[in-house]
Amino acid sequence: MRTRIITAVALAVALAIPASTASGGTTRASASSITVWLMSDAQNGWPAAVANATSQFKSQHPGADVNIQYQSWDSVLQKFDASIAAGDTPDVIELGNSQTAKYMAAGAFQAIKAKNYPNSSTWLGGLKQSCTYAGKTYCVPYYAGARAVIYRKDLYRSVGARSAPKTYSKFLTINKKLMKKYGRNSNFSAFYEPGQNWYVAMSFVIDYGGKIAVQKGGKWKGTLNSPQAIAGLTAFKKMTLAFSRASKTNDEAHPYPSIPFAKGRAASFIGNGWEWPYVFNPKGGAAPASFAKKMGAYPMPGRRAGTFLPTFLGGSDVGIPSSSKNKSLAADWIKAFTGTASETMIAKAGNIANSTKLLGVNAKNPSLAPFARAATYSWFVPSAPNWVNVESSNLLKTMCTAILTNRKSVAQATATASASITKILNAKS
Amino acid sequence: MSSRSPAAAASVAPPYLRRRRPLGRRLRRAFAPYGLLLPASAVIAAVLAYPLYYLVRLSFQHYGLFQLVRHKGEAIGTANYTEIFHDSVFWHTLLRTVAVTAVCVVLTVVLATLIALLLAELSSWVRLLLTAGLIFVWATPVVVAISVWSWMIDFEFGVANWTLTKLGVGKFNHHDWLANPWSGWSVIISLIVWGAIPFVAITLYAGLTQVSRELVEAASIDGASRWRIFRDITLPLLKPIYVIVISLSIIWDFQVFNQVWLITNTTPSPDYYVMAVYSYVTSFKISEYGLGSAIAVVMVAIMALISVFYVRQMVKLGDVE
Amino acid sequence: MSAPLAGAPLAGLRPVRRRSRRTRARRWGVDALGLLVFLVMIFPVYWMVATAFKPGGDIIANTPVWFPTHPTLSNFSDAIDRPYFWTSVRNSLIVVVSVVVISLVLAFLAALALAKFRFYGRKAFIVLIIAVQMVPLNALIIPIYLVLSKAHQVDKLSGLVITYLTFVLPFTIWTLRGFLLGVPRELEEAAQVDGSTRFGAFVRILLPLIGPGLVATSIFAFIQAWNEYLMASVLVHSAHNQTLTLWLAGFITDRGTAWGPLMAGATLTALPVVLFFVAIQRRIAFGLTSGAVRG
Repeated sequence: MRTRIITAVALAVALAIPASTASGGTTRASASSITVWLMSDAQNGWPAAVANATSQFKSQHPGADVNIQYQSWDSVLQKFDASIAAGDTPDVIELGNSQTAKYMAAGAFQAIKAKNYPNSSTWLGGLKQSCTYAGKTYCVPYYAGARAVIYRKDLYRSVGARSAPKTYSKFLTINKKLMKKYGRNSNFSAFYEPGQNWYVAMSFVIDYGGKIAVQKGGKWKGTLNSPQAIAGLTAFKKMTLAFSRASKTNDEAHPYPSIPFAKGRAASFIGNGWEWPYVFNPKGGAAPASFAKKMGAYPMPGRRAGTFLPTFLGGSDVGIPSSSKNKSLAADWIKAFTGTASETMIAKAGNIANSTKLLGVNAKNPSLAPFARAATYSWFVPSAPNWVNVESSNLLKTMCTAILTNRKSVAQATATASASITKILNAKS
Repeated sequence: MSSRSPAAAASVAPPYLRRRRPLGRRLRRAFAPYGLLLPASAVIAAVLAYPLYYLVRLSFQHYGLFQLVRHKGEAIGTANYTEIFHDSVFWHTLLRTVAVTAVCVVLTVVLATLIALLLAELSSWVRLLLTAGLIFVWATPVVVAISVWSWMIDFEFGVANWTLTKLGVGKFNHHDWLANPWSGWSVIISLIVWGAIPFVAITLYAGLTQVSRELVEAASIDGASRWRIFRDITLPLLKPIYVIVISLSIIWDFQVFNQVWLITNTTPSPDYYVMAVYSYVTSFKISEYGLGSAIAVVMVAIMALISVFYVRQMVKLGDVE
Repeated sequence: MSAPLAGAPLAGLRPVRRRSRRTRARRWGVDALGLLVFLVMIFPVYWMVATAFKPGGDIIANTPVWFPTHPTLSNFSDAIDRPYFWTSVRNSLIVVVSVVVISLVLAFLAALALAKFRFYGRKAFIVLIIAVQMVPLNALIIPIYLVLSKAHQVDKLSGLVITYLTFVLPFTIWTLRGFLLGVPRELEEAAQVDGSTRFGAFVRILLPLIGPGLVATSIFAFIQAWNEYLMASVLVHSAHNQTLTLWLAGFITDRGTAWGPLMAGATLTALPVVLFFVAIQRRIAFGLTSGAVRG
């Protein structure tokens, strides 16, 4: 009996040891290590930039450890909230630039002095805005993405377009010819535009002089039902219904338009620079590498000659949570990560770096240069703390679907959306 | 029955062997059940006791991101509950959840019963095949099952669209399954039922194997139809198991989250809200943890109401003579 | 009257009857129906496995490729090469084995108490067991995280094990209790007549009898622990602590998900459960045939 108890206890201990040592939980914030939460995009897209930052940091702080934990977009905010509640936040965290306002307003970030950070005087305006709240800076811009039109040069040539269109009317003409020539195949789209790609819809709104919401005297008001916004959405609707056979209830990531594009179902689509390789990724996109020869890109022309359709400057920022226990170490890592060396690597991976100084990095790369050019006309979401709740409620996506499926007229849909936006942005936090 | 069987012996002796037992043994007997229950209860209590209390407490507070950062909520009494009950989205969601749960449970139990009965009749190799198939379905991680189904109903390249068009059911090319809530829900319900059937079917089948074969044969030799046999012999014997699986199905289906959440790419429109999704969106998407907790508490209360009937049944069934 | 053993495998002991042609045809009909049900249920799983073996061009095809005519293993090698695959497998196995073993032991004991004893508070406990299952998991994410964090169990496999136990136990207890209730009391009595303690009777007699129940609940515990996503996604911070499900979820949500490797990873994730079933498949028959003599 006694031997049995001893055996049982020994077994339990033996099982417990690997279980507890199998975790890395104890490498938490001690004086000589920091925990960094980056999105998996960094791990897949520009691991060299991360490695460069870490080695730079380590040469500065020889005894210190950097524990990088890659997160996915769909669970990072829950994890962050839970860690805030428990007081064990990471020391550096990456957030989307439309999510930062809420956390800044709630005091989740540590205020920093921008001038201590590299290239801060040349930070991209749209990104800098997402890091500023009540006159203070709370995070550092990390990278952005701009959208341009990716197209099939051979299909364009077959309807007589030898070069990319520089005006919106030329754009319309080419697409009309494409639909006339190939549109009988019910799978074909001259311009593949998923119905819930609200970024493009809002680009039209901005191009026509409208705004999503404005702030007057401390109160926000949704303005999608202004005449300019309605005009923009009407133009968007006309274009999409004429040229696109994409789903009206899916957004621009389900599927990535590069997939039907690779299968010949689309002559063009609007996308980010990092969507280019998806087209001929033999595992995902199913087009052979030679397909790249047929591809080109150009910034989408705007309504007025000589302008581009403003592109949404989506991107990410990195910041230091206010409950971090290693704030100065964290700051040093961020300085290394957003310095010129790492940012150049990030730009070369198909993104827009955080500084105007680095806009020319991809100028010689024909597949990435158009995206950098497109960034010269950009827009960003209203800098309201509750903005991310508008995005989470999906009301802009459902508005687009309602407009494109004719469930609601543009006027009705925008009226409902504006009322909801007003309510959400003004909700007490 | 031979007279040498233990059952025969038991039927002669009194049900309880009444002997005076020494005090120590009597005490041990009295505490035995508590001792048996202790380990399991300790684990459950350790993890759930405080969180449950915290959940209820949160529902009476205003707790947004601002409060989260400062670790301090703002007590507002029943304001959260009032807000929910005045929100039409809440009532629509509640109705939808009840309807979806009912449909899923009925379909699951009926289909699983049929499959369990079928399993009992099959040749052993087919039975093995079907059981293995059911297990493989059950083993498929929910996250993956949903992505396979999403792929099958894909707008551009989905095999479901292609097949239905070829079968002449209609023109399903570029059919957007989620555009219309009715078609979207039929996909989600199929997905839920498909995933739920294996467990129920296998549990029912396990129960079926414990049904005495003699009774069934005796009845069929006496000329009873298969339905009568099922209704009068099998069903009563399986009743405890049915009560278990039906109540569990109701509890699980009422709380369904993953299927709805992932097939709508984590951005469901209010047409696709069920209670768990509504609570999650409120808590984590708009960071209203107090409000989200109130919704969760209401969810639990409703489920408790629904299952009062089953609880009573369970307790009645569980009386030890 | 024939007297086959109760609970014996139904296939082996059919009553000796002349196999008329009608019975044979009926047999084929039933088997065909069984096959049809099998095909319908298994199709999505088949599609997943088939896609795992197809090259990219066959996956995104204008006409579906029903059977991989150019099978390739490259998707599998891509999946396995993805970082942390083997670590995730190891973590999942540790978590799952712990959950299954511990939950079976604890649940059997608790089910015994609830089914075979009368004691004060029994009804309350039963109600509690049912009530606990009604609490929606995702409402408790933050409070559970808080509790585990205080106990330094965040980002640890043991924290996951405890959390999963909590969610698996109520159901396991309830189900085993149901199976135990189905066993007649005379059998325990019979064992006690032979002079064993009540507990000894429980273990020697009841345990084998509820074999199918143990199998069903262990499968349930295995699958719950193997597939759980929401709690794991919040509780695990380091990549080297992730379970296979988290590894897979990362695969799906990453930009530019490639269907081929994803389906290959999914197939690999589902494999251990199937192997587990195959391993205990013989136990089902054993449990059945070793059942006590009934009359």
